[in-house]
Amino acid sequence: MNIQFRLNGKIMEIEAPPDRRVVDVLRKDLGLTGTKESCAAGDCGACTILVNGETRLSCLMLAAQLQDREITTVEGLSNADSLHPVQAAFIEHGAVQCGFCTSGMVLATVHLLTRNPYPTRSEIRAGIAGNLCRCTGYHMIVDAVEKAAETLASEEDS
Amino acid sequence: MKQVFLPHNLEHLWELLDREPESALYAGGTDFLVHMKSGKVNPSCLICLERISELQGIRDHGSQIFVAAATTHATILDDPLIKTHFPVLNRAIAVLGSPPIRHMGTIGGNIVTASPAGDTLPALYALSAEVEVRSCSGSRRIALSDFVVGPGKVALSHGEIVSGIWLQKDDGWALQHYEKVGKRQAQACSVASLAATLHVEAGIVKRARLAWGSVGPTVVRSDKVDDYLAGKPLNLEVLQSLACLIDEIVSPISDIRASADYRRMVSKSLVLRLSLYSQAG
Amino acid sequence: MKTPFIRHSKNGPLQIGASIPRHDAYSKVTGQEKFAADYYGENLVWAGAKRAGIAHGILKKVDCEKALQVPGVLCVLTHEHISGTNRQGVVRKDQPVLVNDKVRHRGDAVALVLADSEEALKQGLVLIQCTFEELAGVFDPEEAMKPGAPLVHDDIAQNVLLHGEIKTGSGIEAEKESDIIVEACFSTPHQEHAYLETEVGWACVEADGKLKIVCSTQTPFRDRMEVAEALGLEFSGVRIVAPYAGGAFGGKDGVTVQTLLGLAALNAGSRPVKMHWNREESFISGTKRHPARMYYRLGAKADGTLHSLSVRLYYDTGPYDHLGGVVLTLGLEHSGGAYRIPHVHLRGWAVYTNNPIGGAFRGFGVPQVNAAMEQMMDMLAAKLNGDPLTLRLRNALRKGDKTSVGKTLVCSTGLIDCIQTVSGHPLWKNRNAWKSEAPRFKRRGIGIAAVMQGSGYGPVVPDYANAKVELTVEGAFRVYCGVVDMGQGNASTNAQITGSILGQNATSIELVLPDTDRTLPSGSASASRCTYTFGNALIGAAEALRKRILQRAADLFMVPNIEEMVLVNGAVKHLTTGREIGLSQFAQFLNDSERISVHHFRAPVAQEDLGISANLRLHGMPHTLFSFGAHLAAVEIDELTGILRIERYMCASDCGKVINPQIYTQQIHGGVGQGIGYAISEELNLERGTILNPDLSTYIIPTAKDVPDIESHAIELYEPTGPFGLKGVGEVAMNGPLPAIANAVADACGTRVHESPLTAERILRALQSKNREKTG
Repeated sequence: MNIQFRLNGKIMEIEAPPDRRVVDVLRKDLGLTGTKESCAAGDCGACTILVNGETRLSCLMLAAQLQDREITTVEGLSNADSLHPVQAAFIEHGAVQCGFCTSGMVLATVHLLTRNPYPTRSEIRAGIAGNLCRCTGYHMIVDAVEKAAETLASEEDS
Repeated sequence: MKQVFLPHNLEHLWELLDREPESALYAGGTDFLVHMKSGKVNPSCLICLERISELQGIRDHGSQIFVAAATTHATILDDPLIKTHFPVLNRAIAVLGSPPIRHMGTIGGNIVTASPAGDTLPALYALSAEVEVRSCSGSRRIALSDFVVGPGKVALSHGEIVSGIWLQKDDGWALQHYEKVGKRQAQACSVASLAATLHVEAGIVKRARLAWGSVGPTVVRSDKVDDYLAGKPLNLEVLQSLACLIDEIVSPISDIRASADYRRMVSKSLVLRLSLYSQAG
Repeated sequence: MKTPFIRHSKNGPLQIGASIPRHDAYSKVTGQEKFAADYYGENLVWAGAKRAGIAHGILKKVDCEKALQVPGVLCVLTHEHISGTNRQGVVRKDQPVLVNDKVRHRGDAVALVLADSEEALKQGLVLIQCTFEELAGVFDPEEAMKPGAPLVHDDIAQNVLLHGEIKTGSGIEAEKESDIIVEACFSTPHQEHAYLETEVGWACVEADGKLKIVCSTQTPFRDRMEVAEALGLEFSGVRIVAPYAGGAFGGKDGVTVQTLLGLAALNAGSRPVKMHWNREESFISGTKRHPARMYYRLGAKADGTLHSLSVRLYYDTGPYDHLGGVVLTLGLEHSGGAYRIPHVHLRGWAVYTNNPIGGAFRGFGVPQVNAAMEQMMDMLAAKLNGDPLTLRLRNALRKGDKTSVGKTLVCSTGLIDCIQTVSGHPLWKNRNAWKSEAPRFKRRGIGIAAVMQGSGYGPVVPDYANAKVELTVEGAFRVYCGVVDMGQGNASTNAQITGSILGQNATSIELVLPDTDRTLPSGSASASRCTYTFGNALIGAAEALRKRILQRAADLFMVPNIEEMVLVNGAVKHLTTGREIGLSQFAQFLNDSERISVHHFRAPVAQEDLGISANLRLHGMPHTLFSFGAHLAAVEIDELTGILRIERYMCASDCGKVINPQIYTQQIHGGVGQGIGYAISEELNLERGTILNPDLSTYIIPTAKDVPDIESHAIELYEPTGPFGLKGVGEVAMNGPLPAIANAVADACGTRVHESPLTAERILRALQSKNREKTG
């Protein structure tokens, strides 16, 4: 079927089977392999994307559901010249190890900070609890989210 | 390849249901699409309910509140009306799944899935929720406890959908409690849970309504328990003395998450937590 | 919303000891990094394995007819299509690539399907029909050793893959001289690696006939040999490329998809083939941490001096050796913990069963025994009415002491400093006050554990690395990494080492990740050895290149003394005059071989003869380099549900000097995080070899809400043999959480749970039986 939506700010028109999983559309059809797949059952958060600004799991969403939606994947957060403050904080504060949870974790953070710009560490932990990480023990991810919140807040102020 | 329809209103939905009688309905897909991938269900076509305007939102009807079926858990969690009048539901949803699951999953989905471990169900039982069922020919209201007839089984006929949930405001239920036992602090399927609404005056229970999740084929509730508590002080001794009654009403199973024994023990011990409210009451 | 970002905010030459953001962080955080999972080439063939689905049986027939009729299914391959040995394995090559006679666990691959699409592959796999003659299986190591038990391998008596025995002093006889004996049995579960990137790779036969396999692996050079041998190819006919892995932790130490992919590619014409295990397949067919049953008797003098130890270990290695013998050997070597014990009798058995395959997993046999020994120490302290920390300090290993297998410690040994860091910490000093503030229905406890982890391959298997550094014609330095970066950041550390020696910024360093055609053999990414062994080789290569460049530049500038020359970012500079030449220009003066420097390093091994059997020596005993640590867990238990929450966690670790504090801390945090999962929730539930929880909703790994903040202290003793004084940090932290938490739970409950993980159900049972004791 013909599906029209916005992907990372660009208007897209694709032909895809309506029941194709969004994670497959992104990774296999559109080459956006930043979105990862790890459990295919909604348990891990690796395939997290933003749909109209909210986190969703692209393994539990079908292509037809893309229609008219605004989709953001990790590739859409940055361009060649600039990173999203969340990405910058993840790099700077050691939140990245193997990197396979990172895209989902970054997007979960972007959404969390939109809703709650000044989260406590405990709120951060709740906010990223849908994204499993097997490498970091989460501590430095929480650090990075805190720092990203500070950056975003100071950008708001200035 | 399966067709996927995304109707925008109920009228369109009724047409589709008429045209595609073998279709399956889903909203968030957090359960349904997992089952479809594993091959447990294999419908010929799909209807996604996420865009039907009538199935969205929370509406204040004076003494009652209507929560439309395709309202996501995240929306309910943020809703001030729910926080004010039905904190037990708010708390149940706060520990349901994870943020992305709450953005996808809907209250109607949780009800129709009718899992013994469904997180909203004990809270809704404790609130005496009514289900609104609609079809092209009209609507009916039915007590949730009558609607859920078994694990995964609900009293829904062909052509009918759950359109929402009716909740009765009740200022007496000043004390609302929810606790879930899971295998971790987030993203955990319920091993056992307790929802309670209580009307306590001067330390004495006036009315109570307790509901347990995951310790029977459906949510467990008993008038005997509620009646027993009425008129008694909310203290540890009284709550401990509920043990025999609880033993009679729960019928837990052993599964991958916990043994029946453990569920039975916890069904009894979870009520003891209510004693923490005794000073407050 | 966007802020400009400088690739590495800490500009200037890379320095040892600085927290420099990782080289790979940028590409990972932007989604640009291409993992093995991220390849979807043109004209791709999908390959998948038909799994046996029975635990033990004779394969009678594989019927592919129906599968072959599925449109899009290209072919179905069985063992008959394999011209090599059809065997893989690291020590004993006992695992078939495709079953030819006997199935030994449910995850055995019986047939390989090639298809044009994933959908066709899925259908094809379902339609293959296998006929078996089922055999009785063995599912418990102690049962498997009994006479008459079914044999997993016909040539292995009593199913014992490896038996090891160590006796020092007068062995168990010395128990008579002990004033106090404590005795207990502990059991630990299978642990799943649960890396987010499941086993995956792609392969093709290149134009020159070479088989190229790009995969998520820890062991490209060993894979090349295994694949070649199993498939009957020349070593030189196989190329393995190892991109950054999406987690591995030991689970990709050895062949996963490689041989099957190779076989598929050989039968796919020139088309590329991809294989990607789904989560369930990863559970069923991947390796696990060995479950263990451990019988301990610990004897001490009345003053708390350890005197005797008797240990029996049973490690369930599943159906194949993989690395099971080596894992058991490390378990044996560490079974006495980080203490002086003059008389020991240690026995261990790695036993074949029809359960899932036991293999390498961070800690490698040590987390099991360390959990047992550290709980024994607390039990002993309780019996002595003494303080568990003081007891540990009294017996802790110092440099020059002998470990429990008799190995004299010659490496830097900071265990005492680690324990003292814990003892001086407010969490320890104020523990009684904190515990007394437990809210209603809660109990609090504090537990500690000492940890120790040997690194490297042991005395026999050569533990070497070959580093190569190149000055490119563009004037950058290219590091050819021989050891895989599976997420732990060693590639970045390589850049940091190279930059610090050659005076370069991060942007001037390029990394070539392991590729058997381009980088040099340097062993596995395992055993806490990566930066120790490869780092030493890299220092040699970079130093030699530096000297060569300075000498040539001095010649060019006609400066007599190379001390006057210095490398700065992108240039060589004459210090006295300030004259400099850009490296890209300078590179023109060197011929191709001069621009390259290679250095070989072989790790030192234990020299003394301890009378350890040749077989145990082959399997890695004894080590000579150890990292140490001390951990503390503060827990709160809910009396009503048994639910355990870890409120605070701290540890002090002696892993030598730290090259990059950020990467170092990542390793400690990661080890603790996985250790917490191992302690509180992770276990496979098995029923006659079938995993009942092969997914991430029923196999419970920690979320961000289950792990507390982790306070990590580095005790930076200089290890003279290490690169810049470093020792391995990859594994040691994994050993702490289970015993520290188990001791904290015992402290809180007044009773001990001997079976892990410490689930709410086990804790509640323990609490209730304790209550019954009191009332009854």
